[in-house]
Amino acid sequence: MSRETLEVDVLIVGGGPAGLSAALRLVQLQKERGGEPLSIAVLEKARDAGAHMLSGAVLDPSTLRDLIPDFREKGAPLAADVRRDRVYFFTERSNLRFPVIPSPLRNHGNYIISLNKFVGWLAAQIDGQGVDLFSGFAGQHVLTEGARVVGVRTGDRGIDRQGVQKPAFEPGVDILAKVTIFCDGVRGNLTKELLRRFQLGRGRQPEQFAIGLKELWEVPPDRLEPGTVVHSMGYPLRHDEFGGGFIYALPEGQLSVGFVAGLNYRDPLFDPHMAFNRFKRHPFVRRLLDGGQMIRYGAKALPEGGWNTIPRPYMDGALIAGDAGGFLNSMRLKGIHLAMRTGMLAAESAFEAVRSGDTSAAALARYQEKIDRSAVKTELYPVRNVHQAFDLGLFTGLAFAGLTLMTRGRWVEDLHGHAGHERMKTLTWYYGAPAYANASASAGASADRSAGKPGSLAPSNATEVDRRLTFDKLTNVHYSGAAHDEDQPPHLLVHTEVCSSICGPEYGHPCTRFCPAHVYDIVQEPGGPRLQINASNCVHCKTCDIMDPYGVITWVPPEGGGGPQYNGM
Amino acid sequence: MILVVAEHRGGTLNRATWEAVAAAQLLAERMGGAPIRIAVLGAAGGVPQELAAAGVGDVLVLADPALEPYTPDGYVIALAGAIASVSPRFVALSHTYQTRDFVPALAARLNRPLVTDVTAVSEGAGGLTFTRPMFQGKLAAEVRPVGDAPCLVTFQIGAFRADQVRKGTTPSPVTDVPVTIDRAAIRQTPDAPFQEAKQAVDLSQAARIVAVGRGIKSKEHLPVAESLATALGAELAASRPICDSGWLPMERQIGSSGQTVAPKLYVALGISGAIQHLVGMKGSRTIVAINKDADAPIFEVADYGIVGDLFELVPALVAELEKK
Repeated sequence: MSRETLEVDVLIVGGGPAGLSAALRLVQLQKERGGEPLSIAVLEKARDAGAHMLSGAVLDPSTLRDLIPDFREKGAPLAADVRRDRVYFFTERSNLRFPVIPSPLRNHGNYIISLNKFVGWLAAQIDGQGVDLFSGFAGQHVLTEGARVVGVRTGDRGIDRQGVQKPAFEPGVDILAKVTIFCDGVRGNLTKELLRRFQLGRGRQPEQFAIGLKELWEVPPDRLEPGTVVHSMGYPLRHDEFGGGFIYALPEGQLSVGFVAGLNYRDPLFDPHMAFNRFKRHPFVRRLLDGGQMIRYGAKALPEGGWNTIPRPYMDGALIAGDAGGFLNSMRLKGIHLAMRTGMLAAESAFEAVRSGDTSAAALARYQEKIDRSAVKTELYPVRNVHQAFDLGLFTGLAFAGLTLMTRGRWVEDLHGHAGHERMKTLTWYYGAPAYANASASAGASADRSAGKPGSLAPSNATEVDRRLTFDKLTNVHYSGAAHDEDQPPHLLVHTEVCSSICGPEYGHPCTRFCPAHVYDIVQEPGGPRLQINASNCVHCKTCDIMDPYGVITWVPPEGGGGPQYNGM
Repeated sequence: MILVVAEHRGGTLNRATWEAVAAAQLLAERMGGAPIRIAVLGAAGGVPQELAAAGVGDVLVLADPALEPYTPDGYVIALAGAIASVSPRFVALSHTYQTRDFVPALAARLNRPLVTDVTAVSEGAGGLTFTRPMFQGKLAAEVRPVGDAPCLVTFQIGAFRADQVRKGTTPSPVTDVPVTIDRAAIRQTPDAPFQEAKQAVDLSQAARIVAVGRGIKSKEHLPVAESLATALGAELAASRPICDSGWLPMERQIGSSGQTVAPKLYVALGISGAIQHLVGMKGSRTIVAINKDADAPIFEVADYGIVGDLFELVPALVAELEKK
């Protein structure tokens, strides 16, 4: 098959905050330094810039100020200035307000934004600047020559479920670049390939993740003053589970309500989506949402591991920036500004390398130096152990976070984290032998029921679903706008023989619970349980790729353009 | 006078024509009792007599060899001539694929207004007002035609009810209207119509649908639903899990990733009613749901709901239907 090839100087994979900041920075450098203009291309799997963007979101504007100093004049969509911070500790029925806001959670000077709108605006800033933004095209494979990254192959279009070419078949295009900047987001499929092929994680700690679920609500006015930022910890999580809730008040009666759960929980029957439902049923949250309407839903994993888990972000011909590299401050719950900063620094390194004619790893190592001298390290290095401390429980984690603040992170020895999916316990370990016997007998039969019954495989944290305040996953998915061409091969590659033979008895099919979009379904058939993959429900959160205990699920991009539609999220 | 343009294929009347007649009768009433005439184009077999039998108005047959097979140019020429000779106030058509093919050209040829996809007719302050959807149904626009007669109006399928046509007591006369069409003026040479897939089913045209969901449990139980569909003269459809499992072909899937239907009768068997399914069928006139789970969301949209086991209830229903 003959493939088209396209040659550019710099290819950026992923049109999120990191990728678009990199593109914009390249445009700026070109204007400042003159000379032969660089050809720049950006690949984005969503049909429109920003459609797959999901975040809380509170923006620390420090990077934005450096990248676009006149961002206000240019109409940056900043929904509200943060006026008030609140942090609560929740128990099942009550809440305790923190009298003093811990400094990492102080948001004075920050903005509440819709990341979807913000990224749409960033894309508009590079419009007409000579950057080719290919939206609706996903990077499928990394192209290499020996140990050198030479570009990316985009996905084929027009292949049916059985893998046969449809009349409208179009093979993917090989985009060759002197430097490729990978900004494919949390657990990016291409960055994952790079990590494996070039062992970029050697000598680093395992990556750690959480899953964030979010709904946008319209509530009666005056429930919460716009600009109010609320964070909660405690209920509905147990002390050995990491995470918490957030509520950000936008103008015009909109609330951004979400819940983050660490993807390192032990209970195989835990369901992050149910934890979110429980959070909304807490009296404090219910009061805010009562009588309102949920208008959007989404979910996305986030890299929580911090400084010690960031892989080597440079190699021959390539750099990694943003969430793909794990540049997120889990203590401040912020990553957009770090994604933008690393995107800018990657652009600067790529620009210098292309101009000097040397794009080897040695030349691109300048990127690491730039990161080490930048606010990225100043911010991430002191808190490098905090997330790992939460592995030891909420209170240990909090105590550790406090100590870190006092000592600015000066420790003799670093704490060592574990990959989250390895922490998940088997049913037998967690519930003991009798429950396990029970559980396997009724495997799957009631897995889609919301009511938790002892011995069943329903989520251990199941709660009532009333379809007004709390929702089942399928209803929620409808509000994510997720849509894919139905007639295409499944984009979730699963070694299904593991499902019925080992995973069912050992873990009780946790994919049916950790997936926030009802992609995985266990169907009872005469021959035994069968995994049904509803791939078109997928909201591209990557949780399955991360959390499956055997590592047998691989997320690959579906045909370009498919996915959620996160308007206003 | 209102001229209704009938649609047929090879002598079989498209039932949407009756909806256009019903809409025209409503329009005639609003105009203070204007007469109705029905135009039939081409070789229509028994269609003119079928329409005349209802006694709703004179049937005009516009026959010319050049009208076979259907071409938009042929229809435009024939209708432009007929409209000039009978001078109607309104030309009423059903908003079918064929109408959409030729009616814009007809309106342009006549240089007269065209109001499409009308869902309601009302009498406003400034005269007759038509309601039509905009932006994929997010907004409804009220349109008042101005200018010289005639005004062309197409009516949305399902918006007016064929069974509400007020039939006359005596059959109407059938008149041949001579038309001459210069074959050279027809620019299209259509191939014979074909069906893309074997046994392709157009559920959107079905008057009754029996849909099955996961409650049917296995492929072996499908005959239970088929028996009810046969007894009702209904098409069989399904929710997503059934088609995903390959128990029924994808073309029978109802919902956001399948077809959107609005039949007169929709019987949901063992369908819980996820929102993705509801968006595909909630426009049905009468919804009957049978489900074991009393809390299933399908009951929120059902006109008649039965909480129970479909394997007991369906055979009982079939037995009752077969008695009649």
